[in-house]
Amino acid sequence: MTEMVVAEPLWKIRLKLWIRSLRTGWELFKEKKLALFGLGVIIFFAIFGLLYPLYPVVMKNLFWKHDSFGYQTFMPYDPIVGFDPDIMSHPSPPSLRHPLGTDPLGRDILAMIMYSTPREFVLGITAALITVIIGTIIGASAAYYGGVIDTFFMRLADIVMLFPSLALLMVLSAFMELTLFRLALIMGILAGFGSITLVLKAQALTVKVRPFIDAAKSTGASDAYIIFKHIIPNILPLSFLYMMFNVTGAIFTEAVLSFLGLANIRMSWGVIIQMAESSGYLMGASIGMYWWLWLPAGVCITLLCSSFYFLGRGLEEIVNPRLRKR
Amino acid sequence: MLKFLGKRVLQIVVLLFIYVTVVYWLIEAMPGSFVDQYLLNPKLTPEIRENLKRQFGFDKPAHIRYLIYMKNFLTLDLGISFSYFPTRVTTIIAERLPRTVFLFVTSTLVSYVLGYNLGKRAAWKRSGLLDKTTTFVGIVFWTIFLPLLAIFNIWLFGVILKILPLNQFIDPNLWKSAPLSAQTIFIRLLLTALVFLIVFLIALLISNRLKTIPAKKTVLYTSSITTIVVSIVIWILSGYSTYAWDIIKHMVLPVLTLTLYSFAGSMLVMRDTMLDVIREDYITTAKAKGLPDNVVRDKHAARNALLPLVTNFVISLGFTVGGGIITETMFSWPGIGRAYLEALNTQDTPLLIGLLVFTGIFVLIAHLVADVLYAVLDPRIRY
Amino acid sequence: MLLSVRDLRMYYKTKMGYVKAVDGISFDLDQGESLGIVGESGCGKTSISMTILRLLPDNAEFKGGSVLFDMGNGPVDLVNLPESEMRKYRWRGISMIFQAAMNSLNPVYKVGDQIIEAIQNHFPDMPLDKARQKVAELFTLVGLDPSRMDQYPHQYSGGMKQRAVIAMALACDPKIIIADEPTTALDVIVQDRILKEIRKIQRKLNMAMIYISHDIAVIAEVSDKIAVMYAGKFVELADAVTIFKQPMHPYTYGLMHAFPSTVGEKTELVTIPGEPPNLLNPPKGCRFAPRCPKADSVCSEVEPEYRELEKNHFVACHHPVQPKEVVRFYAE
Repeated sequence: MTEMVVAEPLWKIRLKLWIRSLRTGWELFKEKKLALFGLGVIIFFAIFGLLYPLYPVVMKNLFWKHDSFGYQTFMPYDPIVGFDPDIMSHPSPPSLRHPLGTDPLGRDILAMIMYSTPREFVLGITAALITVIIGTIIGASAAYYGGVIDTFFMRLADIVMLFPSLALLMVLSAFMELTLFRLALIMGILAGFGSITLVLKAQALTVKVRPFIDAAKSTGASDAYIIFKHIIPNILPLSFLYMMFNVTGAIFTEAVLSFLGLANIRMSWGVIIQMAESSGYLMGASIGMYWWLWLPAGVCITLLCSSFYFLGRGLEEIVNPRLRKR
Repeated sequence: MLKFLGKRVLQIVVLLFIYVTVVYWLIEAMPGSFVDQYLLNPKLTPEIRENLKRQFGFDKPAHIRYLIYMKNFLTLDLGISFSYFPTRVTTIIAERLPRTVFLFVTSTLVSYVLGYNLGKRAAWKRSGLLDKTTTFVGIVFWTIFLPLLAIFNIWLFGVILKILPLNQFIDPNLWKSAPLSAQTIFIRLLLTALVFLIVFLIALLISNRLKTIPAKKTVLYTSSITTIVVSIVIWILSGYSTYAWDIIKHMVLPVLTLTLYSFAGSMLVMRDTMLDVIREDYITTAKAKGLPDNVVRDKHAARNALLPLVTNFVISLGFTVGGGIITETMFSWPGIGRAYLEALNTQDTPLLIGLLVFTGIFVLIAHLVADVLYAVLDPRIRY
Repeated sequence: MLLSVRDLRMYYKTKMGYVKAVDGISFDLDQGESLGIVGESGCGKTSISMTILRLLPDNAEFKGGSVLFDMGNGPVDLVNLPESEMRKYRWRGISMIFQAAMNSLNPVYKVGDQIIEAIQNHFPDMPLDKARQKVAELFTLVGLDPSRMDQYPHQYSGGMKQRAVIAMALACDPKIIIADEPTTALDVIVQDRILKEIRKIQRKLNMAMIYISHDIAVIAEVSDKIAVMYAGKFVELADAVTIFKQPMHPYTYGLMHAFPSTVGEKTELVTIPGEPPNLLNPPKGCRFAPRCPKADSVCSEVEPEYRELEKNHFVACHHPVQPKEVVRFYAE
């Protein structure tokens, strides 16, 4: 027996390998202009959302210096209870004091949008994370064990896919107050048992037949060890990619539910548009006159959703060899 | 093939029963039903209350009610709606189903045709101008906040251009003195469309047997144009054309919105599969045979890429159903999706269950259609 | 002369630079003649066939040379032909048997129809029943049951697909067939039988053929002339017997001794140490120099000229191997 000479601890080698693969990944990623655009927009929204606390401070110093009484009493930049007493009729069009105008209740639209931004991120990422964790574990186990477990989860996925998820969430909204976290949880779980398991299982099956799985088995590794140490790390890139698509889905679904008035969320981009709809500003010919009530929020939803999608597609072209260029 | 179909139908029936059961218990578990509200009305005497309870079947325990529901379900009786009392749920669905099916089928067909054609061209000239623009525009529409798209379309076509009506199914002023109900005219319109589709499919089958490309085109175009012209003439002669035109005008925006929203799904799948297929050796062989570029693309590459597109159809169904609910709400389109939202708001449980069950049946039928289509398209599959 | 390739150059453009896959290839091919091109994988031999038929990916660039092809009405330079004209020469003039015959058939169409498609593409006036008759004849010629023409590729075995692909290559009575590794995926017995049949058909129809393979044994069996390719260039070209009896390039010598011979005296098996060069920036001078035991300072500086050392025996080497000379390759 010869002793292995390892100059560096294992974790250091792993870290180095990881950094190297990250760097080559970045080289490939840089060429995907759309994905870069997506990443840029996501970073923009992240900063935009984080800057929210500064917004009232800046506005106060610009416009309310001499009327701090009114500022304290009416909190004109509060996204939920704010009101601007100096403006005669709400909704008011964009002005210097309110760059995106005010809604029918006199609240500042920009403040509402900024306040909602981090919440959209939390919701989207939480839901997608739950989906991916469930989908990855089920996909890996179904592929590894096969048999009854496989059949059970695949049929379950069939039934979940049979339910139109939006319709189901609408029913669930009658059961319970769909708060932000509950909504994220339910969307995450629902999607986790759905089509993502099929995709990840297919990928896990290709990993399962590789020689290192047999090698691990022959050394007496437990099933759980093989699944978590060997199969899951190999399908993680694909899971991560589907996470991007699921973020898109979650943000979209939340916006629709809020728009239909079915979610119990105090403020979100969808709620802003619902406000415009329920107070009748989206009816008939006046639709274009009050554009600031629906356009900015709608554009934000669309931009953030498509950015995550662009990012996901860009990553897909790196992860999925069949989409690579020759 | 028959054996496979039988097996698949059996599977689908089992799936449907599981689905109906899940739906039933889900809605049953919904707190505060319509009946409770109704029964709490202090004006009702206890006798009437008991009577009503019995009428709706609420005097029996839940599992008995479930069995009764399933028994009725087998005879296609879905009970009586609460909010439209005493209309049967099946009657409401029968009235609204054609509208939804029409909206859904038209936009799905158009978006698949569009997605197929754009996707194959984009992949054929990868990283070309068409590829870049369609991918970008497609993804933006695919991830757009659907109400925003609907609002934008209403604003653009209805308010700015003033060429299309804003929303709703019909123009009430026009129909006040109409000799026939809108539903009848609509069904007739659907029949016309169906006839056209059948003629088109037959022409497609015939033209596939023909050898030269000009002959194929002649058969396809003449038969399609003749059918369109003949049906337009018949409509004008019948005297109902203004009413039919009114319905058609109201249909354009919803169909356009749903199509724009969903075409990128099939387009992206088509593009990705094409990229895969283009690398196959039989594509090089086809080129080496001296076939023109577009023949290689359409006959050899696109034909093979069609198969995953069919699979995608099944996966994206739920997505389109969701899109349908939003579109119908936005355009006040009185179909299944809007009925669903209404039933939810009024807690009309029988209608809610009925609608969900029907959506399930609809989706399952689509699964079956996709299975058959797949078997027809792929000669390797012989069950 | 049927086909006359002169100084053909085709590079693939990549981010790192040009991959010089075909770098100054010249050869002639006459009616009824068969040429074998042998070389290691990645040396550019498949690119030659793709260049002649102009079936190249988007990043391929012609860098000069000519492919003069004579179908009986004077030589035409295929390199400069517009695409629509070029299509007429594909399959009708030069057809191919592809590397992966298994995958050369489109899975969703009947085999017979795929052959008819080729025929009707070049002879649009031929009625369907005559085309079918032609396919039936071809099937018989390659040893397939004509009733199988209405079956799909997945219903064929590997050997049958190979025969179908050969039948397809013959469909338009081409002047030249290029067979790129025609039998690699098959087992040895089927491989041998099919090679013999191709040879028989070729003699019968008096066609010209170009065989491309990494396996010199396969090439030896079917070729009149053999070209040895190394790193995008021909290093030696002569008739088959000469190449075997008296190889003049050290690389050819190495190749000859790398395969065991079942006939004749036992010889020492040699392997050539090292790796073939990267075609992105091949070595200056002779490309084989880094691996060549006979190489000296001239070899790594000056590129050897490809010249006719003896009659019909072309070699590109500064120090050709002399008769009876023994070259020893040593592992590093």
